[in-house]
Amino acid sequence: MLRALSLTQRLTIFFTVLAAAVVFGLGWVFIQATARHFVDLDRGTLQDKQHLIEDIVRSANSIEDTKWRLNEALSHHHDLYVVVKDARSDVLYQSRGFQSPGLLQPPSASTAGETGLRLQHWASEGREYRAIGFQVTPAYDESGALDVLAAIDTEHHEHFLAELRRTLLLYALQAVAVSGLLGWLAAHQGLAPLRAMRAQAAAVSGHQFNERMPVAAVPIEMADLAAELNGMLDRLREDYRRLAEFSSDLAHELRTPISNLLTQTQVALSSKRDAPTYRNILASNAEELERMARMVADMLFLAKAERGMPLPNRERFSAAQGVQALLEFYDAVAEEKGIRLSVTGDGEIDGDRLMFRRAVSNLLSNAVRHGDPGSPVTVKIGTSDEGVSISVSNTADDIDPALLPRLFDRFFRGDPSRAHPASEGAGLGLSITKAIVEAHGGDIAATSGDRTVRMVMRFPPSAAIS
Amino acid sequence: MKILLVEDEPKTGEYLRQGLSEAGFVVDWTQDGAEGLNLALQSFYDLVILDVMLPGLDGWQVLQSLRGRGLQMPVLFLTARDEVTDRVKGLELGADDYLVKPFSFAELLARVRTILRRGRGGAESTTLRVADLELDLLRRRVHRGGRRIDLTAKDFGLLELLMRRHGEVLPRSLIASQVWDMNFDSDSNVIEVAVRRLRVKIDEGHEVKLIHTVRGMGYVLEAPEEP
Repeated sequence: MLRALSLTQRLTIFFTVLAAAVVFGLGWVFIQATARHFVDLDRGTLQDKQHLIEDIVRSANSIEDTKWRLNEALSHHHDLYVVVKDARSDVLYQSRGFQSPGLLQPPSASTAGETGLRLQHWASEGREYRAIGFQVTPAYDESGALDVLAAIDTEHHEHFLAELRRTLLLYALQAVAVSGLLGWLAAHQGLAPLRAMRAQAAAVSGHQFNERMPVAAVPIEMADLAAELNGMLDRLREDYRRLAEFSSDLAHELRTPISNLLTQTQVALSSKRDAPTYRNILASNAEELERMARMVADMLFLAKAERGMPLPNRERFSAAQGVQALLEFYDAVAEEKGIRLSVTGDGEIDGDRLMFRRAVSNLLSNAVRHGDPGSPVTVKIGTSDEGVSISVSNTADDIDPALLPRLFDRFFRGDPSRAHPASEGAGLGLSITKAIVEAHGGDIAATSGDRTVRMVMRFPPSAAIS
Repeated sequence: MKILLVEDEPKTGEYLRQGLSEAGFVVDWTQDGAEGLNLALQSFYDLVILDVMLPGLDGWQVLQSLRGRGLQMPVLFLTARDEVTDRVKGLELGADDYLVKPFSFAELLARVRTILRRGRGGAESTTLRVADLELDLLRRRVHRGGRRIDLTAKDFGLLELLMRRHGEVLPRSLIASQVWDMNFDSDSNVIEVAVRRLRVKIDEGHEVKLIHTVRGMGYVLEAPEEP
């Protein structure tokens, strides 16, 4: 429920509730204080009357005198009602139009002296009364104390309070409404940078990757978020650029062999030829198609690696043994070029044996292909606390340092011309090696200098692999 | 040798049927999984080649039904998806081998022959002989025309493979996998050079050439047919 509300709505509601609590609380305190003040006023009045009645009763010389003087003193107070009874509960005096509620409790002797002010409160026939009761002993008859009840009709106070409540309620409601409106305005205004960021984000697409969040223009609380979002956009742009390049490279790489196949086949079909010629053409087509099939397989392997490739069969194995088997595989090719293959050192690797061999195989294939005839290709394996490092070096012309990191890009070839011997792969070998090393949690780097090109793979100790 | 081919893609199916027929097999081809299962249950086949993605029953279901009814003929499945789980599933269900599309026909043929050769052990000869070329498995020696030829261990392994399967065209990938245990796509040039080197040792100075390149397919060792 709350989740469905917008931030502006939430802030407005919060603000309104807050304003209502403050305004109504204040009103309540004010009304309470006023009511208490009225009670104090009534108490004062009743105390005055008590003293008056006590004076009259104590100074009167007979019952008749008491009655007459009470009547004289009290009859014109139209809000004040007094009932005086003697010990036998006969009424000596009663204000006109007043019915005693009969619940008058004579105050006990102890309270009568000090707090004779304990007010009693009741309602009768739509009117409300506040009263005190007390006893007084007349001077003419010391044996019989009189019970006195003095009451004040509080109607005009209640009337005033009701009026006050109404006025305050009206004001409070208006104040809350205005606060709500102001709250909405404040929230709306305060969240303006967020809307600006939203508009900016809406402008970002695959074609329009240059929009950035205005870090300097947003409040400090949102600047971090904006900076993070910008970082994310940068990374996405880089990935997207590589993906786009890769797609176009892929299309180009496929276009060349397809165009070759198509041309060759159509030329072959354009006139009658003898059987050996047809065989030749078909064989050539098969070779070309095989290359394409291998390229597609490599692409799929890389695509899988990009998605995060789990190692199919993890085990511990000797790196030197794996490399040795590969040296035997490349023996014939190396021999033909007069290249001497050698491996030194050893280390234990925790990973997939087949994938490891595939990674090293690509490095060796490159080293033998690009190495100077008659030069050595050496594999060095070293173990340290940081894991196992395997370097493959060959002698060749130095590579432009700017190109070194790009060696691992897919379809990258040092020589930009498109004339490659058919034996050469599609330029995916090093990318695959890199993907495999990274799947093992390691890294790979290329160095070049003094006519030595060296590829160094680092595999972390087994514990470091997730 | 009778092969049941279950493949729904018409072109692939037609070419496989033709290729396998020309390689000397009797081939029944169907495009439907359920139909394939019926055929397999009705008559005897030495091998079933099963595509995974099929209308009606898919390849897994056909394989499961076959094994469920106690039929133990070898099954080779073809899949377009090179997922580890697919492979494991197929092998767990009792398939004998698998090939990921696109595959080369030479590769398929070589695998088919490998599967069919299994279990037909018989008395293993210790000497392989093709024309005047002799390979002694026990002493690991090679003679041609009575003259001894020195070979490295891997050259010997390569020659042994070619001789054991003489007359068959062996694709490069199969050679890489069988001789060097390279079970992944690797530099195809390497096999070419290795075979070239072996050919120099075996064929140079001999009138009759035994090792031949079949362009676009692979390599074959065979004696020329008697005229």
